[in-house]
Amino acid sequence: MIRLALPKGRNLTPTLAAFRTAGVPLSGLEDNGRKLWMELPGEGLGKEGERLEVLILKDKDLPLYVEYGIADLGVVGSDVLEESGAELLVPLRLTEGLSRLSLIGYPGALPEPGAQVRIATKYPRIARRLIAERPWGAEVVELSGSIELAPMLELAEVALDIVQTGRTLEENGLTELETVTGVAPCVVVNRASFQRHRPEINALLQRMEDAGVAA
Amino acid sequence: MKISADLPQGVTALLFDTARRRRGLEAGMVSTLEERGFAEVVLPIVDYAEPYEPLLTPASRGELYRFVDRDGELLALRADFTPLLARLLAPSLPAGGAGHDRPAPTLELPQRLFYRGDVVRYEEERPGRQREFYQVGAELLGVAGDEAEREMLSTFLTLLEDASAPEREEGAAAGAPPVRVVLGLAGALDPALLAAAARGADPAALTGAVARRERGEVRRWDGEDGVLLAVVEEGVPADPDLLGPDSCRRLRRLLALRDEMSDEFPGVELVVDLAEFAHQVLDPALVDAAGERSYYDGLVFRAYLGHLALPAGSGGRYDSLFARLGAEVPAVGFSFGLERLMADATGRRRSRPTPVGVPVGVEDRDEAEALAQERGLGVER
Repeated sequence: MIRLALPKGRNLTPTLAAFRTAGVPLSGLEDNGRKLWMELPGEGLGKEGERLEVLILKDKDLPLYVEYGIADLGVVGSDVLEESGAELLVPLRLTEGLSRLSLIGYPGALPEPGAQVRIATKYPRIARRLIAERPWGAEVVELSGSIELAPMLELAEVALDIVQTGRTLEENGLTELETVTGVAPCVVVNRASFQRHRPEINALLQRMEDAGVAA
Repeated sequence: MKISADLPQGVTALLFDTARRRRGLEAGMVSTLEERGFAEVVLPIVDYAEPYEPLLTPASRGELYRFVDRDGELLALRADFTPLLARLLAPSLPAGGAGHDRPAPTLELPQRLFYRGDVVRYEEERPGRQREFYQVGAELLGVAGDEAEREMLSTFLTLLEDASAPEREEGAAAGAPPVRVVLGLAGALDPALLAAAARGADPAALTGAVARRERGEVRRWDGEDGVLLAVVEEGVPADPDLLGPDSCRRLRRLLALRDEMSDEFPGVELVVDLAEFAHQVLDPALVDAAGERSYYDGLVFRAYLGHLALPAGSGGRYDSLFARLGAEVPAVGFSFGLERLMADATGRRRSRPTPVGVPVGVEDRDEAEALAQERGLGVER
């Protein structure tokens, strides 16, 4: 039986929509209340009577569960995936649920060459790689949420965080100083599971591509 | 300092039964290797760092534990047995090419050697990744062609089958995945990658995309024949001719070897998958673009147990490693990580407790719960 890891939070809605459009309805998921581990009919997986186990995980933890083989495949944001450094197959990116990872701060706060600043983020690995490529230096301050508050309260000059609509920034007088990279929910697959369930996984990926929900 | 049983990250002490099991596993492997004519070499755990500089990739350099000795020498802890063995033996082997001024070779070929011991590498803090781990490995030096690959793959599979036999039987009963060995060829995708580079693809990025099976990126740069996408999906193209004449010939030989070994080792599932080894490019233009080269240059293989995405053993042909050290010697080798062989040999993972929808009377609750527990089921009240 294939075990699928689904992300809590902002990526859950586009993920469920993508699976449903691709003909994998994940029927019964809504009726399972606060359950974190459930078994559903595996409709759309290509095998008659096939069942599917579903885990509901925090985005940040999901790569680890798939890498360690607890789940065969899952969907996770490319931001979290890159930050995790997990060794996973990444066959597809969803076409919905897109956002961007950006440097944010007050207008004009983008560091000048040679400047030394503080950068607040949930993504310390990505931030360190970014700083290595820039003409300015920064101390990385790792936070777990409400990253926008850091420049507002002068904990850091800039923040590196996800921007979806930009409304939160606007409402707080902040601005997107620079887009660092585009972010999309990604289908990730465990290397060993891909060898084991290759026909089913390939069929699912093909259905998602054909339905135009992933590329 | 407060005394506790705490150990540094990535380091494990094996006590009592675990130590006994590890030694038992090691003894069985050593016995098989000796029966097959392999002689043991005992290698130091500390060596000069400098001789390995030309062999290091950016990734492997970052894994090395290096330090300056009290006399000023830059030393490194053993991170890999094969380059160490190659460096020690190269001066006693036939010189390769011109410009190597050295005495006549003193080591008769072929040589069948095996080693065992700890290797130490920096690894990020993640499950299944130790910083100190115990390897048993073997090398066959001086035998060219298919004969050496057949012998070493057969030895690898024998050790793997023996090491995982009890757990495999237990695991099979529990519906666990079989032991699986993925086979590939270094450089087999080079013609397709070079063709994509000529169409504008960044070779390093495309190689990574093939290895991660990124369908969109691969499709973007693939040729009309779709050979790279076929490799990403199925491991090999339906028509091996699409890989170019040399890769096609090598792939056909590998498929024949897989079939032969599959008959010989029914307990192991053998899969040919070129995408798994996409990073192992050989063409100088691709090596330059990637900024590193693996020391494998022919057959490559990895063994996976259970669901873990990290291999329990790996190996392949590495003639060019000796060539880079000035010796002209064909070589095929492999190693196993004993912690991984022991850790997940059954391949089982915890099953979801399933509520049983059986109405039970009050008097039967204990019995129902005991029965459910026995069968790994949960009880919903």
